[in-house]
Amino acid sequence: MAYTLRGRIESRIAAALAPLVAGCILALVLQAWWPVELAGLMLGVGLLFDAAYHRLVPYQPGWAALPLGLLELGAIMGLARVLDVGAPLWAALAFYAGSWLLAQTLGHAVFPLARLSYGEDGGELGRAGGGLAAGALAVLAAAGGIAWATQPPVVHLAAGVHEGPLVLDHSQELVGVPGTVVRGGIVVTADDVTIRDVTVIGGEHGIQVESAERVLLERVSVLDATLDGINVRRSQVTIRDCSISMLGREFGQGIDISFTADLEPSVIENCQLAGGQEGIFLGSVHAMARDNHVRATTLRGITVTEMSTASVEENTVEDSLGIGIYCSDYSMCDISENSVTGIRPDHESSDSMREGYGIVSHYWAHAEVADNEVSRSPHVWGEFSDAYIIFE
Amino acid sequence: MSRPCAIVGSGLAGFCAYATLRKGGLEPAEIAVFGTDPDPAAVWRVRSAAIRQQRMRSESDGHCAPSSFPGLAVRAALRRRSPAPLLRSVCDRYHPTVGEFLEHVDELRAATGWEESVQVVRVNRVRAVDGGFEVGGHGTFPHVLLATGHPGLAWPEGLAADPRAVHAYEPHDFAETVEIVGAGMAAATEWLNALAAGASVVSVRRREPERRPLNLPRELFSRRGLAGFHRLATAERIEFLRRFGAPSYPAGREWDEPVEQARHRGRFRVAAELNGAPQVVCATGFKRGFRHDPLLARLVAEHGLEVAGDWIVLTADSTVESLTDRERTLALAGVPAQWAFPAADTLVGAKYAARRFLRRVNAWRTR
Repeated sequence: MAYTLRGRIESRIAAALAPLVAGCILALVLQAWWPVELAGLMLGVGLLFDAAYHRLVPYQPGWAALPLGLLELGAIMGLARVLDVGAPLWAALAFYAGSWLLAQTLGHAVFPLARLSYGEDGGELGRAGGGLAAGALAVLAAAGGIAWATQPPVVHLAAGVHEGPLVLDHSQELVGVPGTVVRGGIVVTADDVTIRDVTVIGGEHGIQVESAERVLLERVSVLDATLDGINVRRSQVTIRDCSISMLGREFGQGIDISFTADLEPSVIENCQLAGGQEGIFLGSVHAMARDNHVRATTLRGITVTEMSTASVEENTVEDSLGIGIYCSDYSMCDISENSVTGIRPDHESSDSMREGYGIVSHYWAHAEVADNEVSRSPHVWGEFSDAYIIFE
Repeated sequence: MSRPCAIVGSGLAGFCAYATLRKGGLEPAEIAVFGTDPDPAAVWRVRSAAIRQQRMRSESDGHCAPSSFPGLAVRAALRRRSPAPLLRSVCDRYHPTVGEFLEHVDELRAATGWEESVQVVRVNRVRAVDGGFEVGGHGTFPHVLLATGHPGLAWPEGLAADPRAVHAYEPHDFAETVEIVGAGMAAATEWLNALAAGASVVSVRRREPERRPLNLPRELFSRRGLAGFHRLATAERIEFLRRFGAPSYPAGREWDEPVEQARHRGRFRVAAELNGAPQVVCATGFKRGFRHDPLLARLVAEHGLEVAGDWIVLTADSTVESLTDRERTLALAGVPAQWAFPAADTLVGAKYAARRFLRRVNAWRTR
């Protein structure tokens, strides 16, 4: 079809109306904003591309919808990543594919049936076009208004020491500045909590998350916690760009996430962890540990156990005692592209697993390993108690 | 006055208009169709058979139904239970067979109640009167669409009475050597027909034909291209229509390979003039211009309508401005409507005029 610019825009907006409404419904069902954000992003990118198509594609044959659709998909997915739209990849692809198919059906069948001169009008929809555009804008505005109205409040912590423990029992963003310190720990018991740019000193656990979902801990530092730096139970968290020091602490872990296997996956990425028994402990979870730096632990570097399903990738584990990366107790571990170095044998233990292994699979665990680098350690890998390792 | 609408012409353009009006909510009793044959494809059928046409030049939307969906590719895909027609259609490579097109016309004819509205009479005069237009003594109608079709076959000068000459659009066989005059779709089809029949062919033409998939560039079938066309000044628009009225036929191996093979064997050549072959096939299309159509010529003369070159000047919605207002409409469809839509002689062009005619009728009905 040879679209006019107005025809492209009206057809685009009309075809976006149903995905926008579907996005709102999905957002209600999933209690997440990404469907609305994705639908809005699709419309915005589409309209921008339409302006370019108008000059570059005076006549658009039917087959061109496929490459142009893929081009738009690439731009949308890239922007979604840049703008931090929290859409799961396959869900986002399915949402886009469904919307694209709907747009094709509308453009080739429904619009020509509803408006006889649709083709010769270059895709323009007449008075209906204005109405549909208003409808789409109304849906977007309503969703935006609701999103704005339901945004969690932002609590700013000034530089200086704030006495804890702080208990966050409702949705909010707790945002510090350089020099913001909370002494005595933070406890999170509500969904949709973000903690950003805060240093926590002391406390039984530096940050404790209990029965909460969609919790984001970003650029937090924890020092001198008695037990765990970050302790997560029955919760779904994303921990990003953190720094935890457990040096000198005989017990406790840097990050301990347990009993979350029935929840959305938790993520730990780009954290610096030093000291403690284990840098990262994942028990009965569904999680990913990526691009973290773990050092100087006294039991293991990274542990995945108790029927967990976890990806451990691109981490660095160094100067740990006994075991670098440990997959145990019926867990399914995908261990790839990690660097494990300087694992020392634990001479005080009679356990043969602790003789300095880079990677261990234990007790019916199933570890798939690929492209890991183990150096300055007595043993590269070991299988114990009916566990096994598959090398890809 | 019981009928608000009259269509003068019972050919394919008139039939498209009728189907569009029916889709728009008019009953058969509200539409009068005047024409020379109750079969809307009667004339077209004879002409396509004469040139042994197998496939349409038009694509999936080259049909008479009022909405472009479902097109002929969709129907073919369903009938054949194969996605191939759809895949060819999205690549602009689907051309329905003549049989499929005619079958569709027959189905639509039965579905729309065409027989209830058509009257087999020749209308020689349409004139504006109080309350609308008086149509050849058959009544007065507020809204009239003239779809009178091509005004007759065009013959090269001096050949109309030549016993060797036959027009491509009239039934004919081929002599051993045949000169084919013309360079458009009919001429190209006749080259292949004559070669297939074992004849040697001389293509008589003064210029190389344009090669394009449809009669006109695709943009000119939609508002995108039409907006620029409608902005042209009178002289420019005449020049434009003359330029794009020049003969053309599609590119493609199916056209070129038989000709090239015959050329290598000495059975095909191009000449600028006739040179005494025993048979001359005139693939020179149709007479051009309203002056060759007695009804239109009389309409122009009696009402002093504005003309430009061979065309009656029309508004963008294919109506005659001086005879159209809120109470009445005089519209043209088919080849005489090129001033509004350059591809008016195509099925898509016929529907362009029909849809705008329907808008005026509906605006009048709901006022």
